[in-house]
Amino acid sequence: MRRSDLGEFEEVVLLAVAALSPNAYTVAIAEEIERETGNVVTSGAVHAAMQRLEQKGYLRSVWGEATAERGGRRKRLYTVTALGGRILEESRAVRNRFWDRIMPAIRLEWS
Amino acid sequence: MKSEQSTSGQPPGYLTNFIKMLVKPHLREEILGDLHERYMRRVKTQGVARARRRYWLESLAYMRPAFIKRQKSEYRSTFLLNPAMIKNYVKITYRTFVHNKLYSVINVGGLSIGLAAAMLIMLYTKDEISYDHFHEGAGQIYRVDRKMIKSEGNIANSGYTGYFQGSRFSAGVPEILAFVRLQQAQMEMKTGNDIHTQSVSLVDSNFLSVFSFPMISGNAKTALLDPASVVITEEMAQKQFGTTDVLGETMFLKNGAGFNPVTVTGIAKNCPQNSSIKFQMLRPLNVSASEEGLNENWFRFFLNTFVVLAPSANLQTVEAKMQKVFEADAAESIKMIREKYGIANVGMSFFLQPLTDIHLSKNVSASEGLSDAGNPAYSYILSGIALFILIIACINFVNLMVARSIKRAKEIGIRKSIGGNRNQLIIQFLGESFLLCLAAFVLAILMVQVVLPVFNQLSGKALALSYLVDFKLIAGYSILFISTVLLAGFYPALIISDYNPVSALNARFTLTGKNYLQKSLVVLQFGLASFLIISTLVIFSQFDFLTNEKLGYEDTNLITVQKWGLKHHDATLFKDELIKNPNIVDVAFKNNGYSGNTVKVNGEHRVNVTYETIDASFIPLLKIPVIKGRNFSPIYPSDSVHSILVNETFVKQAGWKEPVGQEVAFFDINEKYTVVGVVKDYHFKPLTEKIEPQLFTMNPGSDYGMLYIKIKPGSETNSLKYIGETFKNMFPLDSYSYGFKDQENLKSYEAEARWKQILLFGAILTIFISCIGLLGLSVLSAETRTKEIGIRKVLGASVAAIVASLSKDFLKLVLIALLLAVPLAWLAANKWLENYPYRIALNGWLFASAAMIVIMISLITISFQSVKAALANPVKSLCSE
Repeated sequence: MRRSDLGEFEEVVLLAVAALSPNAYTVAIAEEIERETGNVVTSGAVHAAMQRLEQKGYLRSVWGEATAERGGRRKRLYTVTALGGRILEESRAVRNRFWDRIMPAIRLEWS
Repeated sequence: MKSEQSTSGQPPGYLTNFIKMLVKPHLREEILGDLHERYMRRVKTQGVARARRRYWLESLAYMRPAFIKRQKSEYRSTFLLNPAMIKNYVKITYRTFVHNKLYSVINVGGLSIGLAAAMLIMLYTKDEISYDHFHEGAGQIYRVDRKMIKSEGNIANSGYTGYFQGSRFSAGVPEILAFVRLQQAQMEMKTGNDIHTQSVSLVDSNFLSVFSFPMISGNAKTALLDPASVVITEEMAQKQFGTTDVLGETMFLKNGAGFNPVTVTGIAKNCPQNSSIKFQMLRPLNVSASEEGLNENWFRFFLNTFVVLAPSANLQTVEAKMQKVFEADAAESIKMIREKYGIANVGMSFFLQPLTDIHLSKNVSASEGLSDAGNPAYSYILSGIALFILIIACINFVNLMVARSIKRAKEIGIRKSIGGNRNQLIIQFLGESFLLCLAAFVLAILMVQVVLPVFNQLSGKALALSYLVDFKLIAGYSILFISTVLLAGFYPALIISDYNPVSALNARFTLTGKNYLQKSLVVLQFGLASFLIISTLVIFSQFDFLTNEKLGYEDTNLITVQKWGLKHHDATLFKDELIKNPNIVDVAFKNNGYSGNTVKVNGEHRVNVTYETIDASFIPLLKIPVIKGRNFSPIYPSDSVHSILVNETFVKQAGWKEPVGQEVAFFDINEKYTVVGVVKDYHFKPLTEKIEPQLFTMNPGSDYGMLYIKIKPGSETNSLKYIGETFKNMFPLDSYSYGFKDQENLKSYEAEARWKQILLFGAILTIFISCIGLLGLSVLSAETRTKEIGIRKVLGASVAAIVASLSKDFLKLVLIALLLAVPLAWLAANKWLENYPYRIALNGWLFASAAMIVIMISLITISFQSVKAALANPVKSLCSE
């Protein structure tokens, strides 16, 4: 599995879906990322990323319930597939290994 | 805060709609839902203004290919022009057409009337603007016109010039390549023993090479070189010889005392309909050496001069050069005129008018020496009427199509339910209107063919349907056809294909909405129709007034006979001979036509007069009252040399309190005349002209030209026979022509008669087409209200009450139309009547009767449908649900 398959923003979205599951849908994810990162995130950007992730097979979606807030339209609920989960694990493992190799002295310099 | 939330509870609608249209269909629900939800949340946390701003940004994020690009459908979309379906469409069109014969005929008929009117008028306008374009190098040919600045400062233009303008300008201005003079003359022609007056065009010998009149035989370049030659038209040859192969034959034309033979040297085709120059016979123009030497010929204007300019010539330069030539060459005459008339400045200049502009020119009209003066106003008014008729016809077509389609809602519902998509329905209904338009178009061409003779008579033209075979005109008609199809087809097709199949099949289907468009169209149609009806009534009453108004003299039982140059002595002999017949009451003499003159009264005061030479019996014969003094009388022999009569207007202009005994002086003769009597003003010219000062003499120096013969009523045949015989005996070499004065008077109003016919034609067509529109709307209204009518009937409403309730709405519209049309028509009528010095007063009755006509016609139209609807059995309309 090539690393380039998962962009940075895609990774964040994928993580957010996993975190919010089973109530992960575009608006909730966008707001969650906004809250966590402090940047403005449009639902369009999130939606586009999730479409790509779904195409790659990391996400799957089903229709959820409709709410008045959405003007009576249904939401689409996303969940992470097993493949998606493995990719997340893998990327986390890569990062962890690097983190572990950073010398404590250097980390002290940063803080 | 709460109210703000309720008003801005929704995000901007247009943006939502745009996004909805933009993104892939299967993503729509999710995307719109997301957008909506974020917006609602932001409204709660950040307020409406911010939420709206963010909504924009959010929407922007969806404008990327990932959301927009459509996926290829897995299933092939239906082929829209499947032959089987087209066959089905044609069949259904045919069936609906046959099923509703009346409406279909009205629909197609109305449209074809509109198209036919448009076609006719296109034909007319094309002809009007094509005048004189058929000559090769027509753009290089100009007519020499002259401009006169009169002492009062007003400018008069004329197309008449004289012998010199052509020859001298051509010699003095190098840019003028050639000149042709054209003089219209009347000549007596002898065929066997019959003598009659023939119009002859006297032209320079290069006439046929400058103008491109096609020849049947003879050489265009040399035909007119010989002074004894004549070129005649095909028609003339047929009339005179019964064949067109007459080269070298001899004809006899009067020249001075006797008839001289002339040889036919060419036969030309009949002049094209769209030619300002129309001739039957062409003879070489002969300018004698003595005329050539007479400098005064610069100031004698009786012919038309055409010049051919070099292609590179500049009009202003040429005109300036012409003016120089004129001032140098005519110096002698200019000096003479200044001395004779005491005018400081002659104030004359010459200018060039393009040949192709002459026909529609208001400045210098074709009537000055040429034929067929056109009036651009006819073209404008006719085009306006035609355009309106066509637009109204198209609108009606649309209205009727939509009205009928309500009945077809079930068909559309079923088509949609079994899988017909919207595009298919649009194609079906566009195709249907295409077929109907095609039928209307074919019908219109047939109609034009049938109506053309009548139209030719109305317009005074000789148009033929073969005229249609012209690239530009065919292109014009094609555009007309295509735009009609689109105009008339698109709207119904869009409306009909938009029906919801569920409600269409559920039979509770109505067209909703206030129909402002249709209502204003009815107002427009009826406003126009009322306007035209009022105008027609005004023209009819004015025409009636012109033809029935008292002229101030008696024109009944009055025969006029022309005789040029009748000496006073011959006149007496002729009268003695005529009076022998008991049917002839009296005979009087007068000069022919009207000659203008200027006289001096009270010393230097000038009066422009119509100078009439009459005899003593003229005033009593016409029963013109003499209000002061006396008529000429044989008792006073000096009357013929010293006395004059004047009319009231003359007295008014001269400012005399006591006219009898006053003296009047002429410019050219050093004699003074004394006024012996004043006659009451009478309309010696048509009522379209104001009565001008008139002066009567018995001066033996000026010849008579016209006989007025009063006969006993009912003796026309005998009297005419006797007059004709006496004339032939006395003047065997003159042609004899007579007329009845009252009929001649009527002829003066041909222009008004033509306007009358054009407007009548326009008014009838507009009313007819408006009624079709109204019928369509009343069908629509009655059909959508079937249930209501049923319930009203069940509850006890009478037929009259239902008819009234159905008619009320439309009557309201017609009344609004009348309210709009009456003031406009009043203004227009006043403006038009200002052209007439003697005119009717506009009164309320005229408008009231026009209103009555409009209301009656519209009521009758509405009642067709409303009575039917009111009589229908309520059980039928109520049971089907």
